[in-house]
Amino acid sequence: MTPVVVPDRAPKKKSKGPKIKPSPAARRRSLTGWAFLLPAAILIGIMMFWPMFQALILSFKTGRGSALDFADPLWFNYTRMLEDEIFKMTVGTTLLYLAIQVPLMLVTALILANILNNPRLKFKGFWRTAIFLPAAISLVSYSLVFRTIFATDGLVNDWLLALNLIDGPVNWLGNTDTARMVIILGLLWRWTGYNMIFYLAGLQNIDPTTLEAAKMDGAGPIRTFFSVTVPQLKPMILLTVIMSTNGTLQLFDESFNLTRGGPANTTMTMSHYLYEVSFVNNPNFGYGAALSYVILVMVAILAAIQMKVGDKRD
Amino acid sequence: MKKLRTGMALAATATFALTLAACSGGDSNEGASGDAGGDEPMGNSLTVWAWDPAFNIYALQEAEKVYQAEHPDFTLDIQEVTWEDLQTKLTTLAQSQEFEELPDIFLMQNNAFQKNVINYPDLFTDITDSSVAFDEFPEGVTAYSTIDGANYGVPFDAGTAINAMRTDILEEAGLTLDDFTDITWDEYIALGEQVLEATGKPMLSGIAGEPDTILMMLQSAGQSLFDDEGNPTITDNEALSTSIELYSEMVEKGIYLEVNSWDEYIASIVNGNVASTINGVWISGSIQTAEDQAGMWGVTNLPSVDVDGATHFSANGGSSWAVSSNADVALAEDFLSATFAGSTELYDTILPGAGAVANWLPAGDSEVYAEPQEFFGGQAIYADVLSFAAGVPSNNTGAYYYEARDAVGAAITQIMGGADAATALGEAQSTVEFAMN
Repeated sequence: MTPVVVPDRAPKKKSKGPKIKPSPAARRRSLTGWAFLLPAAILIGIMMFWPMFQALILSFKTGRGSALDFADPLWFNYTRMLEDEIFKMTVGTTLLYLAIQVPLMLVTALILANILNNPRLKFKGFWRTAIFLPAAISLVSYSLVFRTIFATDGLVNDWLLALNLIDGPVNWLGNTDTARMVIILGLLWRWTGYNMIFYLAGLQNIDPTTLEAAKMDGAGPIRTFFSVTVPQLKPMILLTVIMSTNGTLQLFDESFNLTRGGPANTTMTMSHYLYEVSFVNNPNFGYGAALSYVILVMVAILAAIQMKVGDKRD
Repeated sequence: MKKLRTGMALAATATFALTLAACSGGDSNEGASGDAGGDEPMGNSLTVWAWDPAFNIYALQEAEKVYQAEHPDFTLDIQEVTWEDLQTKLTTLAQSQEFEELPDIFLMQNNAFQKNVINYPDLFTDITDSSVAFDEFPEGVTAYSTIDGANYGVPFDAGTAINAMRTDILEEAGLTLDDFTDITWDEYIALGEQVLEATGKPMLSGIAGEPDTILMMLQSAGQSLFDDEGNPTITDNEALSTSIELYSEMVEKGIYLEVNSWDEYIASIVNGNVASTINGVWISGSIQTAEDQAGMWGVTNLPSVDVDGATHFSANGGSSWAVSSNADVALAEDFLSATFAGSTELYDTILPGAGAVANWLPAGDSEVYAEPQEFFGGQAIYADVLSFAAGVPSNNTGAYYYEARDAVGAAITQIMGGADAATALGEAQSTVEFAMN
C-alpha cells in the first residue's frame, strides 16, 4: 500500500489545505447530490442568468426596434441616463417611497405582530387572517380598487364630505403630494400584514423564559420589547428590510395601475419608467436594459449596506 | 443501497429530461400554429386583432357577413385584444422575431402607425400594389399609414372631431346650437360662462393631464407637435401656446371640468354633468348609451383658435387595418378591398349600428348618411360629420407622437399647477428631443 500512497499525497500538497480524500462511497453520495442539484441549477442558469447576461449585452446596444447595434462608446446608454430628467425624477420618487414607506410599514408590522402574539388576545386567528389577507390580493386589483376609492367622486371624498371635514372633493390622484401619499397608503395596506407574518414566526422562536426573566428583573412591557424581543428578532428584521427595500426599488404595479405615473410623471417609479421606455414609447430596449442594470446595482448596494449594518451574527 | 442510488439518479435524469422535453414541446407548438397561420396561397380563414366589441369588432363581424355572401366558406377569427395589449404584443413579437404568432390583420391607432412601421417594418406587409384603391380615401387619412410613399394600412374609422351639445341645457341659458356654430374660442368661453351661470354646469370635461382637447385645438389651427421634417415644435408654437392659454382660462373659470379617468369622463357626459363634449365622432357611440337623453343632443363644428390658418375642424383618434407580415396576404387584401375599401353595404350597416363614420369616400354618397338621427333631435349628423371631415387639416404624427403628447400633457399639468408656461413647454421640448436622440 505504501508506494501507492506517496504519489497520491504529492498533488494534494500542491492544491493546498489538509483535505481528506473522500471514500468512494462518500464521493458517490456527493455525485448523487450534484445530480439532484443539476436540473434546478441548469434551469436557473438558462432561465435567470443567461437572460441577465443577455440584458447586460443589450444594455450596450442602441437602435430602433429590433435593429440594434453596439453603441459607440459602449457605455452610451449609461451616460445618457445622466441627462435624463424623467429618470432622475423617478429615482427621487422611488427613494422617497422607500424612505417613508419601508420604516413606517416595518414598525407597524412589528407592533402588530407583538400585539397579536399576546397569549391572552381573543379571536387571534381572526385578527391574524384579517391583517394578512391584503397580501393575498392581486397587486393589480388592489391598485384599481384604491384608484376608485380615491377618485374625485370616490368613497373617501364621500365620507370626508359627509363628515364635513372638507368643503369640496379633493383631487387625490391629481396632485403630486396626495397622489404619492395614496401610493404609500396602498403599499402600507398591502404589505404590512405580509411582513407581520415574518415577525410572528420570529416571535414563536423566542424562548419565553427570556421574556419571563426580563419581567422578573422588573422590566416593563416597553423595555422588554426593545431590550429583549427586538434584539432576538434582528435576523428577521434584516430579512424584511432587505426584501422590502428590494420590492420598493422595483415597484411597478402601483405606479402603473393606481396613478399611471401621473400627474406629470411625478409618481412614476423607476421600473414603470423602464416599461415606458421599452413598450410604450418608441421601443428603446438597449436603454431599458441599462436602466434595469442601474436598478440592480442600487438594490445590491442597499442590501450590502443593510447586511453590514444589521447583521451582527458573526 | 445500490438500487436506491440508481433509482435516485434515474429520477434526477428523468426530471431533467422532462423539463427539456417541456421546452422543446413549446417550440413545436409554435411551429404548428405558424403553419396554420397561412403559408398557403389563398385559404378561407383570417385571424384579426381588434379591441372594441361595440365598435370595430362589431364592424368586423358585419364585414365577415358581407364577404361571406361571395365566399360562403370564409370565416373570420376575431380576437379581442385591447389597444395597450396589442401594442405590447406587437413589440414583444417583433423583438423576439416570433412573427408566426401574428394574426393576418390587426387594427392600429392612426397616431401609432408611423411609430410601429418605422421601428418594426418586419411586422407589416406593404399593400400599395394591392386591389385596395387608396385614392378613394381622403389623403389626410391615408397619410397616417403611408410611410415613404408605401401604404401599410386601410383606414377604418374617422376621428373627425365633433362638438356635441345638450340642446336642452343650452336652452336653459337661452342659447341654441346656432350660437355655437362658426365661432371662436373667445366667444365660446363667453357663452360658456353664460351657461355656467344659468345652469351651474360646465361646458366641457376631460381627463386632467391628457392633452386631447388642446391637441384638437392645435390641429384645427393647422399645426402639429412636429414640423414637416419631424422635429418637435413644442416651443415657439403660437397655436399651441394659445390653445393652452384658452384651456387654462376655461379650467379657471369653471367651464372645463377636469376628471381623472376615462370612466369619469364618460360619466360626466351621460350623467348630464356637462353641457357638451368635443371629441372624435366615435364618442357619439358612448353618448348614445344615455338613452334618457335621446333627442336632447345636437352636433356642430368646433370653435376656432384665433391664429392664422385656423379652421373649425379637427380630429382625434381613428384607426386603420394593417396586414401583418405573417398574413395570407392575397386573402387579407381581397377581404379588405371587398369590405372596408369597397362595400357601401357594410358602411350602411355599421354607421347606424355603431356610429362608425366611413373614411371610404364612396360610402358617403349613401342615403344612410343623410338620414336624420332621432337621438340627435332629428339632425342628420353623419352628413354633417362628412362635411367636417373634408376640412380637417392634416397632422404630422411621426414616430415620436406619443412621446410629444405625453410631454405636452406633463407640461399642461405643471402649467395648471402654477408653473411658467414657457419653461414647462421648454422642458417638454427637451424631453422629446432627448427621446429622439
